[in-house]
Amino acid sequence: MSLMRSFLLLFSLAASLLAAPALAQSDPETLRPLINELANGKYSETEKQIGALVATGDPQVAPALEALSDGDLYVRKADGEVFIIKKAGKAYALIDPLTLETAGEAAKREMDKIKVNNKLRRVIRSALGSLTLMAPDPTVRMAAAEAVFKAKDPDSIEALDAAIAAEADDGVRKKMEEARAAAVLNSDMDEAAKLQAVSTLGTMGNRDALSLLIAVQSSSEGALRDAATSEITKIEKSIAAWDAAQNIWYGLSLGSVLLLAAIGLAITFGVMGVINMAHGEMVMIGAYVTFVVQEFIRSSAPGLFEYSLFIALPLAFLTSGLVGVAIERGVIRWLYGRPLETLLATWGISLVLQQAVRSIFGPTNREVGNPDWMSGAFEIGQMTITYNRMWIIVFAMLVFAGLMLVLKKTPFGLYTRAVTQNRRMAASMGIRTPWIDAFTFGLGSGIAGIAGVALSQIDNVSPNLGQGYIIDSFMVVVFGGVGNLWGTLVGAMTLGVVNKFLEPYAGAVLGKIFVLVFIILFIQKRPRGLFALKGRAVEA
Amino acid sequence: MKSAFTKLALAGLMASTMIGGASAQEDTIKVGILHSLSGTMAISETTLKDAMLMLIEEQNKKGGLLGKKLEAVVVDPASDWPLFAEKARELIEVNGVDAVFGCWTSVSRKSVLPVFEELNSLLFYPVQYEGEESQRNVFYTGAAPNQQAIPAVDYLMNEEGVERWVLAGTDYVYPRTTNKILEAYLKSKGVAEEDIMINYTPFGHSDWQTIVSDIKTFGSAGKKTAVVSTINGDANVPFYKELGNAGIKAEDIPVVAFSVGEEELAGLDTAPLVGHLAAWNYFQSADTDANAEFIEAWHAYIGDDKRVTNDPMEAHFIGFNMWVEAVKKAGSTDPDAVIDAIVGVSVPNLTGGYSAMMPNHHITKPVLIGEIQEDGQFETVWETSGLVVGDAWSDYLDGSKDLISDWRAPLSCGNFNTATGKCGGSGS
Amino acid sequence: MMSSFLFRAMDARAGIFLAIMAAVIVLVPAGNLLMPEGSTFHVPNYAVTLMGKYLTYALLALAVDLVWGYCGILSLGHAAFFALGGYAMGMYLMRQIGTRGVYGDPILPDFMVFLNWGELPWYWYGFDMFWFAALMVLLVPGVLAFVFGWFAFRSRVTGVYLSIITQALTYALLLAFFRNDMGFGGNNGLTDFKDILGFDIQADTTRAGLFAASGLALVVCFLICRAITRSKLGKVLVAVRDAESRTRFLGYRVEHYKLFVWTLSAMMAGIAGALYVPQVGIINPGEFAPANSIEVVIWVAVGGRGTLVGAVLGAVLVNFAKTWFTAALPDIWLFALGGLFVVVTLFLPKGIVGTLSQGWTALRQRKVSEDFEAGSDQPPSQAPQSPASPANVSPKKSASTVPADADPQPAE
Repeated sequence: MSLMRSFLLLFSLAASLLAAPALAQSDPETLRPLINELANGKYSETEKQIGALVATGDPQVAPALEALSDGDLYVRKADGEVFIIKKAGKAYALIDPLTLETAGEAAKREMDKIKVNNKLRRVIRSALGSLTLMAPDPTVRMAAAEAVFKAKDPDSIEALDAAIAAEADDGVRKKMEEARAAAVLNSDMDEAAKLQAVSTLGTMGNRDALSLLIAVQSSSEGALRDAATSEITKIEKSIAAWDAAQNIWYGLSLGSVLLLAAIGLAITFGVMGVINMAHGEMVMIGAYVTFVVQEFIRSSAPGLFEYSLFIALPLAFLTSGLVGVAIERGVIRWLYGRPLETLLATWGISLVLQQAVRSIFGPTNREVGNPDWMSGAFEIGQMTITYNRMWIIVFAMLVFAGLMLVLKKTPFGLYTRAVTQNRRMAASMGIRTPWIDAFTFGLGSGIAGIAGVALSQIDNVSPNLGQGYIIDSFMVVVFGGVGNLWGTLVGAMTLGVVNKFLEPYAGAVLGKIFVLVFIILFIQKRPRGLFALKGRAVEA
Repeated sequence: MKSAFTKLALAGLMASTMIGGASAQEDTIKVGILHSLSGTMAISETTLKDAMLMLIEEQNKKGGLLGKKLEAVVVDPASDWPLFAEKARELIEVNGVDAVFGCWTSVSRKSVLPVFEELNSLLFYPVQYEGEESQRNVFYTGAAPNQQAIPAVDYLMNEEGVERWVLAGTDYVYPRTTNKILEAYLKSKGVAEEDIMINYTPFGHSDWQTIVSDIKTFGSAGKKTAVVSTINGDANVPFYKELGNAGIKAEDIPVVAFSVGEEELAGLDTAPLVGHLAAWNYFQSADTDANAEFIEAWHAYIGDDKRVTNDPMEAHFIGFNMWVEAVKKAGSTDPDAVIDAIVGVSVPNLTGGYSAMMPNHHITKPVLIGEIQEDGQFETVWETSGLVVGDAWSDYLDGSKDLISDWRAPLSCGNFNTATGKCGGSGS
Repeated sequence: MMSSFLFRAMDARAGIFLAIMAAVIVLVPAGNLLMPEGSTFHVPNYAVTLMGKYLTYALLALAVDLVWGYCGILSLGHAAFFALGGYAMGMYLMRQIGTRGVYGDPILPDFMVFLNWGELPWYWYGFDMFWFAALMVLLVPGVLAFVFGWFAFRSRVTGVYLSIITQALTYALLLAFFRNDMGFGGNNGLTDFKDILGFDIQADTTRAGLFAASGLALVVCFLICRAITRSKLGKVLVAVRDAESRTRFLGYRVEHYKLFVWTLSAMMAGIAGALYVPQVGIINPGEFAPANSIEVVIWVAVGGRGTLVGAVLGAVLVNFAKTWFTAALPDIWLFALGGLFVVVTLFLPKGIVGTLSQGWTALRQRKVSEDFEAGSDQPPSQAPQSPASPANVSPKKSASTVPADADPQPAE
């Protein structure tokens, strides 16, 4: 997938470069020996060669460098010619690194990869940055500006000045100015220019700027130092505020994971009174359904990958739900009125399910990929928000709302609530309580299954998946108050946020211990949880 | 007259003996396999059980050992540490195995140590560990810290110019010790206190948001920063997922891991992780004939050509071959004879060289640094020019810098103190 | 009349149990030490340690049965008390190593040496003396249970809420003991013990002695439990179990009764842990795992809740099954064990002992009523029942015809 992406990028880049006003366009053949030199020697020599290529200032070398960074630049063993390759079945399709025309095919054994490491990638990134500052595509220019910003190379100031003068896009120009400021601070320019740069970074106001300013503060004196110090205090203040917001976000995100894991349990345990130790395994089944769906899509319909989660959701709901109904019909219905026995039987079931999954799928982690819309992050102010966390929060809320709707607005929900509140009365009114039991248990299990689809995006998909969530789920349900879905919601979010606020001070382990102690103490104060049920149902 | 209770237990013992394979009579040599097949560690250890079964099968195809067939006895200690000791005792006393290949976690090894000592049997331990141990009955075929951690840090320092370090680990003895050693090592290289951040998380930690953002903050102080990860097992997948999503690229803040191998990466989309590093003594990508043969045999045995190989499997490969050679050399499977014979035995490893058993019961290994690739494999970007000898007692810890280990006569001591000239630690 | 039968049944049951225990305590060590190897009566070392471990588990199960079976407190955290007792003993054993550790440090345990601890933390003081450690084996779990129970029972936390917070307790302790900064050896725990009270811990005689000690502890605790459950106190406990509010309204201070058995039970669990550690040679935080506590409850359920003997039998049987399955069916033993739990809860809702005694009681009743019919015209005090064999106990019907103190109903 990402290989494809990088190729598209590469070609658009190349195309844009060729269309760009020639800076120092020269005959490709004069460059070829330089490119072929890349294949020789160790990393340090490759690095020198990259330097030589960049020194030509010729944008034509960019595609080759890009390919080198992606690990797609190969050398033909026979004649030492360097090509960009594209995998084509068992062989490689060769592409000329300068003209970008196809140049036949070669077997894998005939080609050697030109090795690249992090350091080279870094060098290439900043080199490409200064080469592509004038590219026609604004996103390419933006990426170039960011690369130059990171490189902080004083030599790029000239190119930046030219680029800033020609730049039409405000956002890109701002980024370029910031990059220039970073480079200026790294150069031996006069104090006025540096003061100007400090104030530019001050308005930028993020962590990158902060780290540059700290460097200035420690290496300079007088006015420059004072200016840097005052900008630093400003930035730190705003970052502190953003940090609090970020922490709340982390807390909500953790809370929504807890909510997803616990909400199915809130039905089977909270509403039906079944201590369902196999709940975690229902989550696990959902995650494995996602895996199976993705495997199927990979092998037969790769185009659908982006939608794999939507396909997995109903299937996971059905699979876990059916397993739940089977458990209810086979075991649990014989145990109503004896909640503790359900604990023992479902514990046995959870062992069997774990081992079953281990036997079928093997004991190792299985790969569940993130679709593109679940990958990456964006920034709001100084806050980084990752897409997968955001969608999980949204998803948890949707599941919660959907469940409330089912329980409050449908006949099935009405029956369920009736059976929960007074089984005999409900039966006398003609409700088929055994069926309601089975469906309610199926619903709880199904919800656990779709939680598994979401959790497969952030956690391991292994036979142990469920075990990791079962205790937390019970804590959430009991903390929130058994039999109350709102309690589960508030409980999950509270525990998530509390945990995340404790973590920076106490560390992950102590933070968790404090949360557990907090729950124990809280239950002393409110022996039936946050939202206790009132009335007769309580003592039942 | 014996009580029903005893009879019951004895009946059980007999039953387990029978199923353990006593039916095959005395003309086999029994090899015990002590890896968890259920519980939290099954995820890593089951593969090693399969690898051992394959090695034994292959040895039998070659005609067995000393004219006898080898027979594997598999038990499941279920990731339950006291159960490891019980199962080890069962393997040795009840099933009468001549050597045991097993354990993964440090605690499981610590749990079985007294059993092997008491019953005088052999354990081959295939996993990288924290060192600070050398026992007569145990052979450490995984890496000691000097065969993994220190070369990795050297690489980052020299090649990547890293000046600021995050030591992130799971809170147990291997990360603790490794980080202690690394901290001392880094300080000896002139790294300042405030340029080292140490962070511990519980087992199976799954919410990495805060820590990843802390790493990001720590890394934005203007100096080149790297993360040295001793995060264990399951916790790695959510860690790397968070890392990838938070946009921490290997070019900016590389992560070098000591517990992440091909097997762990198999559960991940590695595209966002390209360039992050791992230090091992073997990678599946090693380009040698022996390795190609091993991988082919493994795929054929397991019936799935997507299954990967990893470093602990190679350690078992080396350990098993060493044991076979030592038994041949000694002409018997008697533990004392094998312990005497095995020191100095040298067998081919899978990376194109030979590994030898040292007198401290650790082995010589090359150290490889690899970068994660898009296909879930590693590409070796650096390796030691020669082999590194496993060091049982770290030179960077106060308690152990004077200790050496040599199990050959006349010294025959696992913790000889060169300062006091006595066997038995640094104390009086 | 009913109760007198029960009285006899209990007596007979306890008598058989005590006789078996006496035989085990004498014969197993004797078979191990006196019989030559190769003799059919020789008990191998492996069997001695294994059975010694079962006995400590049985004691733990007994402790759980006391609070769950007779007082209706379902503890999902009893392994915490077991582990705390174990740690107290482990600390004593660590201090006994002295200079024989790998670093030869006379004071500091090995794990403290290589993690650069400067000196022994204060809470390790005193553990070099056996009497102190033995006291701590009782006090640490006891005090923790007392404090925990004091709050929980006074706040009237009951039912699943109590179960879940006991689970939170053991989970919190698990995480705490995993921390290396706590000074209990982190994940590796305490290990590499050398000797106990001057005896080599690996010697056959020590092992046999520990085995006998475990057996004795089990017998003594069994007698204590039995004395409690058959006293007036025991009746109140059963009343609390079956109708807590009603008992409170009758004027009993329910929380005091609960607190007493709860603390006592925790101390028993502590003793079990202390005997467990020298026999298996390691104590580590894994013992705090909530799953372990759930397993203990399952032993009791399998054997028969509220029967004391059943708890012991359940612990031995389930662990024996586990030992056997993990060797015989290493790849699929979880199916067998999981299946066992499901089958037992479905078909033996009263556990093995409960079901047997139920059948036996019914049989006796029928015999008695037949006697009455044959001998006199006075009708029997209770209608004859058909013997309830496992097969026809429909799990749906609660067997409420059986007197409550013989066969407990769930408290919730």
